[in-house]
Amino acid sequence: MVRIGFEIHVQLKTDSKLFCSCSTRFLDAEPNTNVCPVCTAQPGSKPEGINEEVLRKAVQVALALNCKIKTEPLRFLRKHYFYPDLPNNYQRTSEPFAVEGELNGVRIREIHIEEDPGRYELRDGTVDYNRAGVPLIEIVTEPDMHSVEEAREFLKHLRAVLDYLDVILYPQIGFRVDANVSIEGGERVEIKNINTIHGVVKALRYEISRHKRMLQMGKEIKRETRHWDEVRGVTVTLREKETAEDYRYMVDPDIPPYHIDPALIEELRAKMPELPFQKKERLMEQYGIDESTAWTLVLDKELGNLFEALAKSVGAKNAASFCTNLRGELNYRGIYLSEVPRRERLEKLAKLYFSGQITKPVYIEYMRKILDDPSFEPQAQEQLSDDEIREIARQIIEGNAAAVSDYKRGEKKAINYLVGQIVARTKGRADPKRAIQILREELERA
Amino acid sequence: MVETTYTEELIHRLKTGEISPEEHLEEKLDTIRSRDSELNAFITVTEELARKLTQKAAEAIKEGHGELFYGLIWGIKDNFALKGVRMTCGSKMLEHYVPPYTATPVERILENNGVIVGKLNMDEFACGSSGETSYFGPTRNARDPERVPGGSSSGAGAAVAAELVDLALGSDTGGSIRNPASFNGVVGLKPTYSLVSRYGLADLAMSLDVPGPLAQDAFGIALAMEAIQGYDSRDRVTAHRRLPFLDSLDSFDPDRTRIGFTEALLDGVEPAVRKATLHVLKFFESKGTEIVEVELPDIWAAFPTYYLVMYPEFASAMQKFDGLKYGHRVDGQTLYDTVARSRAEGFGKEIKRRIIMGTYISMAEHAGKWYTLALKARSMIQRSFQRALERADFLLFPTVPVLPFKLGERINDPVQMYMADALTVPANLTGMPAISFPGGWKDHLPIGVQLLGNHFQDHFIVSAVRFFEKEGRPWSE
Repeated sequence: MVRIGFEIHVQLKTDSKLFCSCSTRFLDAEPNTNVCPVCTAQPGSKPEGINEEVLRKAVQVALALNCKIKTEPLRFLRKHYFYPDLPNNYQRTSEPFAVEGELNGVRIREIHIEEDPGRYELRDGTVDYNRAGVPLIEIVTEPDMHSVEEAREFLKHLRAVLDYLDVILYPQIGFRVDANVSIEGGERVEIKNINTIHGVVKALRYEISRHKRMLQMGKEIKRETRHWDEVRGVTVTLREKETAEDYRYMVDPDIPPYHIDPALIEELRAKMPELPFQKKERLMEQYGIDESTAWTLVLDKELGNLFEALAKSVGAKNAASFCTNLRGELNYRGIYLSEVPRRERLEKLAKLYFSGQITKPVYIEYMRKILDDPSFEPQAQEQLSDDEIREIARQIIEGNAAAVSDYKRGEKKAINYLVGQIVARTKGRADPKRAIQILREELERA
Repeated sequence: MVETTYTEELIHRLKTGEISPEEHLEEKLDTIRSRDSELNAFITVTEELARKLTQKAAEAIKEGHGELFYGLIWGIKDNFALKGVRMTCGSKMLEHYVPPYTATPVERILENNGVIVGKLNMDEFACGSSGETSYFGPTRNARDPERVPGGSSSGAGAAVAAELVDLALGSDTGGSIRNPASFNGVVGLKPTYSLVSRYGLADLAMSLDVPGPLAQDAFGIALAMEAIQGYDSRDRVTAHRRLPFLDSLDSFDPDRTRIGFTEALLDGVEPAVRKATLHVLKFFESKGTEIVEVELPDIWAAFPTYYLVMYPEFASAMQKFDGLKYGHRVDGQTLYDTVARSRAEGFGKEIKRRIIMGTYISMAEHAGKWYTLALKARSMIQRSFQRALERADFLLFPTVPVLPFKLGERINDPVQMYMADALTVPANLTGMPAISFPGGWKDHLPIGVQLLGNHFQDHFIVSAVRFFEKEGRPWSE
């Protein structure tokens, strides 16, 4: 039996860092400009925090994951280790403030708050401390997932919840995952720092088959920490249990224990936005769509929003079909709809297609162009008249004698090839249904 | 009876224009030039900055708002950040470190027309009780250059006593203000923990560190505290409290005061220290103060508890010095090699001793055994002091069990050295305020007596010292 559990690090969307008032927008600034004496750990500096906004966001997540919020004072600990990205050479991390949650059948063991380290570029030996002190929450699950598919489903659901709460600092970064995996007969192995859900899936597949191979060969699977090498598609040993570091955890004397106000918890509970599960139920009821389509729509927050907007203009059925196609294209690219710029182009595209101003092939082509080219603008295309199609059909028949004779011999499939030629020649300006009709008539005459 | 004391007199002269801040500064600079080559109280003299600040103070006085300091000359212990002026912490590690910001207490001194004339010598990273562990050489006792000035605010004690400065800002983790105040014959206050912001004070042990002043007299202490006390959003542990130091300075009433006393705190102290302490006690008694016998059954635990709390916090605080971001750097083969070499070369012996001890104590396998135990002992000691202070307004006992000793006499015997802290660490463990003042003289060597009060009674113990200064006389043989 496979057992999979996760530790998920989410950078929280707040204006300022956890322990100082520097901006959290580390990607949007020159290296080492969003820094101050506190987040660079100048001698004598002290944490100013805890940033209340971090607490609010963290509690929101805990509530959405059905956790119990602890009422005893929350203490911050120092976790000591030497690394250039860590200004103090210790990381401040809270004790769990929320426990015993659940999402999609997976139990949440606990959630705590941490500060992110800076960014160390191993190759040129530079460090950017813009990220140092950015607030993180770490969500720890029980090892309740028993297949890669279950694991992927859980991560997709978690991502959706976080998106609905609007708590992720950079949606394009998402979250970082440490995956724990074991199979019957082997020890638990931890794979550190995987950046995408897609990466988690690949890493888990690799690791599970590695474990199976090891056991088949009669080898022992040792408890260890491994690193996922995205480029080579393999996991490699980082450290074994025997060499596990001692972090010398110690309560940080500079941060007085923080009391989470029960009134705050109630306020946030009352203000909780609609969550994916609730939205799925509502869409099914309101628009009469099936459950699987509804999940497809709600697991990408922006896709769900697009669906509801389109349902008004092109009808629920068309909207669902459009969004399902779009989901496929997004999956292919491994992105969320929120990462697509100028999304109003998609609404325009849906209207063009469902009002018959563009043909299906053009619609698909445009959809891809919108996703791949931020400057692309969908335009209604003039449709060719029947006479124009007929003219092209005649030319195609003339130029493809072999296919025509196949057709005449009764190979009716040959017509698909000829239609394809027309579509290509007209650059999609001919409606395929009309083209087949006309082509048949012309073939009869030929 | 003494009419007026040193700092009070000086403020009066500056306020009335009898002496200008410029003249006063030049006088101090002359004294520094003539005496500091021997004393080594300064690491950095900021002559140019001092002249600018003096001008500012002179203008403020002319415009009628020169308070609180009217151009009084300050020395700052070199573990407080002052933007643009190097902060060494007495260590090779930070020999060339220039902080990009200013510590809150220093900022408050500047806002109140204090003139900073330099950064003062200290034991390396405030680790020491003798002023001998500084990378910049030992400071000498202002009363006897053959002897140690006490530590770790060694430069502060010597500079105030030798009148190189009027006031000094020190820091106290286990006695670092009171010990040099005692050895140099000046007054030093360790305020209530959380009354003064630590923002900009380089860490020693974060749950014990407090900034505080050294001065010639209680008036100077009160004046300094008026400026530096109070809440600071940049230090989360500071309290929303201000105490009426100047308003209550002359309101000490011996008839309505009870002093707590126990023989347990005189255990093993030198005869002269004992005599001076009892002399001060008798003085208060003669003025009508009730002397109450108190019990401190846990006092024996204070000393080991202090070290078990301080070592791990210190090791944690020193973790940031890796030679990579700032500070002394020795390049090695690998990253960790660079860190190891930088630390090996940048830190002195006592620092390494404490880092190793602290790391050992806080290792996972020992944490439950020692550190947790020490925290329990700490609350036990806190409770027993609390109980003693239910029966008395403050406790009276010596500051240091011994007289200032000769340079080099104890530096190689850490246990002997640590013993000097035995009577000062309780105030840090309990977070309570304690003040040391000259209670006697053995020939030319000063003897400090200590008053320890309840939390946020700092102003009260300062007023008691003021009363002794005005009405009493230090013991001498």
